[in-house]
Amino acid sequence: MRKTLVLALAALLLASMGGRALAATDLLETGSTLLYPLMNLWVDAYQHGNPNVQITTQGTGSGTGISQAISGVAQIGASDAYMADAQMASSPMLNIPLAISAQQINYNVPGLNNVHLNLSGPVLAGIYMGEIQFWDDAKIKAINKEYGNKLPHTQIVPIHRAEGSGDTFIFTQYLTKSTPSWKAGPGFGTTISWPAVATAVGASGNPGMVQTCQNTPGSIAYIGVSFLNQTEKAGLGYAALQNQAGKFVLPTEPNIAAAAGATDKATPPDERISLIFAPGENSYPIINYEYAIVNPKQSDPAKAAELKKFLDWSLSEGQSSKFLGAVHFLPLPASIQKLSRAQIAKIQ
Amino acid sequence: MGLRIGDAVKAVSPATLQRTGAQAFLRVLTGVAALISFLIIFLMLFFLIYYAYPAIRFNGLNFLTNPIWNIGNQYGSGVTTRNGFSGPPGASFGALVFIFGSVVTAALTMVVAVPLSMMVALSLVYRVPRRIRPLANALVELMAGVPSVVYGLWGLVVLVPWIGQTFAPWVTAHFGFVPFFGGSAGSGNGLAAAVFILALMVIPIMVATTRDVILAQSNSLFEASMALGSTSWQAMVRAVLPSVRSGIVASILLSFGRALGETMAVLMVCGAAINTFPQNFFSPVNTIAAVIVSQLESALTDATGMAQRSLAELACVLFIITLLVNIVARGIMRGADRREGAHQ
Repeated sequence: MRKTLVLALAALLLASMGGRALAATDLLETGSTLLYPLMNLWVDAYQHGNPNVQITTQGTGSGTGISQAISGVAQIGASDAYMADAQMASSPMLNIPLAISAQQINYNVPGLNNVHLNLSGPVLAGIYMGEIQFWDDAKIKAINKEYGNKLPHTQIVPIHRAEGSGDTFIFTQYLTKSTPSWKAGPGFGTTISWPAVATAVGASGNPGMVQTCQNTPGSIAYIGVSFLNQTEKAGLGYAALQNQAGKFVLPTEPNIAAAAGATDKATPPDERISLIFAPGENSYPIINYEYAIVNPKQSDPAKAAELKKFLDWSLSEGQSSKFLGAVHFLPLPASIQKLSRAQIAKIQ
Repeated sequence: MGLRIGDAVKAVSPATLQRTGAQAFLRVLTGVAALISFLIIFLMLFFLIYYAYPAIRFNGLNFLTNPIWNIGNQYGSGVTTRNGFSGPPGASFGALVFIFGSVVTAALTMVVAVPLSMMVALSLVYRVPRRIRPLANALVELMAGVPSVVYGLWGLVVLVPWIGQTFAPWVTAHFGFVPFFGGSAGSGNGLAAAVFILALMVIPIMVATTRDVILAQSNSLFEASMALGSTSWQAMVRAVLPSVRSGIVASILLSFGRALGETMAVLMVCGAAINTFPQNFFSPVNTIAAVIVSQLESALTDATGMAQRSLAELACVLFIITLLVNIVARGIMRGADRREGAHQ
């Protein structure tokens, strides 16, 4: 009895060692925490059909993703923001879009969380610059006629991300493109020098944003659409945002797709482009590509081959709504998929 | 403190050690060990300064007095060059807000934690019934062992909403006339939350060390004081505590250092203020440790590298503050000892 057990264990051990010897190729994906849940779904599904590649995923933040892709620690650096020209000049990398994400503007205004307030770039800029301090400010009332007398005289608490974040990048890009005074002042980036507003609060990560917004009546926050389930559970409201055409639109699938459709032709071959504040009647103004940052010259040809296979898969089967739908992302338009494939082909 | 390594070696040597050879060997060994501890501190400081040097030149002395922290436009074109070193366009690295935040949170933490810890330590030694004493001691040690991120999470989920919705509005309404207690009650994320969380984290350290130095002291002081007719309060506060003063100062120093350096728990509840000083006890603040960890992510994407080096410069400042606090406290202790010596 005992002997068979020992034998069985030995066989198991041998089998597992043999298995490991076969699974020769390890890939590391690290970076964006927005992309992280999707990567996990992808990798899980992909590895079922491809047991000979072992992909490890890490949600570390876009900045870490970019820098580890450059240093060669990771094969895929996930990032919500494309790389800046200055960084591309010193380390040329491929910026490959994998999916389309959007951002909601959430608020906690007791009594109004079940409706969608209208907000515009200039009003948001005014709030984050400390010029608009109360929810019943004339500038907010002017674009919310139907809720005019329901808006309370509550102090606005603008919440921003404490750490560097792709969400800060796309939010401040919306303010920059829609509001000249923001463009001349704080500008945009993964972290910016926030105007000195005494009530402003910095929160860590999207979970921290949800938590702080939920805790603080009168607060406003910008949160990635992949946290839609959490923001709804927290009972937060989300705003209809004013787009370039002057219309107030919600972050619904058709509106996000409209914005993606309005920018796909403008996307250059290296695909580093902002999709913020796209033209078009229905275009939701804060959407972005989620990028895989990849070094075109991989040190290990075996890894390069597996990397290309996985990225190609993510652009074909990976675009299925069973993956993207779970995190409220949208698939890339066909023309962008083609550009991404062309970039993947450059990996050596 | 007057003990030298040589003395310690002599103390163990006569009976057990084989004369000169082993003795010399042990002396060298302990000497090297002592040297290593100095060397590590020195090397760390050297590395930090070496790495931060471009930032030190780029930022100048302005670094210490400038309240604006702006890592500049990563997506802009061109660079800002000062003193031969370049950073991102529009960059302005000022540490004043964070230096102020670090020192004020740590100091206020001491104001909250020191009296509480002394009381807890004294009751653990003299008041808590013998039967439940082991349990009470175990609980204190358990508190000291809880990872800081757990305190941070508890702070974010429980403490911050309580401060924002209950405590701060009550204080500002009833004690608004006290400076720094009036004004906006804020969201709960801020100075008060950071101080309370830090106090929770340092109290067990302070209690455990204070309790141990009191226990190490013989019981005779307390008994003699009681015999002379003092109340037990007087015996504790006037006789026992002064006799273990240096131990207490050491534990306060240790806790102050912990409060200065604590990162995650503070970052989760402090409100991460940037470019602005706290208006009152409930306003958002930021500390050097918290800002280093929160800004690192973006600093990594700075092609000029100046943002990373400026964060290293911040780390230098934190290091130097900790050193200064140590030196000053030691100076105070030595001065007190000398005065006492003169009396006797």
